[in-house]
Amino acid sequence: MVVFALLVSIVLAGLARRTAAERIRYALWTLLAFLLVGVGIAWLMYPFSR
Amino acid sequence: MASESPSIEHSQKVNAARPIFLALAAWIVPGLGHLLQRRWGRALIFFVAAGGLAVVGYAMRGEVFTPLSSDPFGALGFLADACSGVSYFLPRFLEAAGPDISRAAGDYGTRFIAAAGIVNLLGVLDAYAIASRRRS
Repeated sequence: MVVFALLVSIVLAGLARRTAAERIRYALWTLLAFLLVGVGIAWLMYPFSR
Repeated sequence: MASESPSIEHSQKVNAARPIFLALAAWIVPGLGHLLQRRWGRALIFFVAAGGLAVVGYAMRGEVFTPLSSDPFGALGFLADACSGVSYFLPRFLEAAGPDISRAAGDYGTRFIAAAGIVNLLGVLDAYAIASRRRS
């Protein structure tokens, strides 16, 4: 999940931002968002896995 | 109104074909469309991301869909895989043991390979937009 989120975050940052500093910041933000949402959805689905 | 000279008309035709050529280049090799337009950063980003997703997907022994799939998910999967360009033909070199979707890793690998195609599709559209001056 981390590898997937990292690579997709890099692409989104490259498209959405112009400078290197902005891209890095945006990529880190989207990476964190991907991971948090992914783990969050996993926990939401956990009760239904039993 | 005076008609345009043949050289101007030819130049306009060449300019209209250029975005399409660059989009095709971006499709065949991730990042090539941007490289040809001297967009080094975006070229590197799309090459690393699309290529990385594909290579990791093959390393996890994901499945590559064929155009002869009978179910809709297989057909959509093929369309996604085909968007990755030359990466679609890498399994014969990188997946010597073939796909293995009986394990979770193989299932994830299948998603990685499809995502590589979708990411490359973003690159194709971006290269086309830059070439046709819709983006800077």
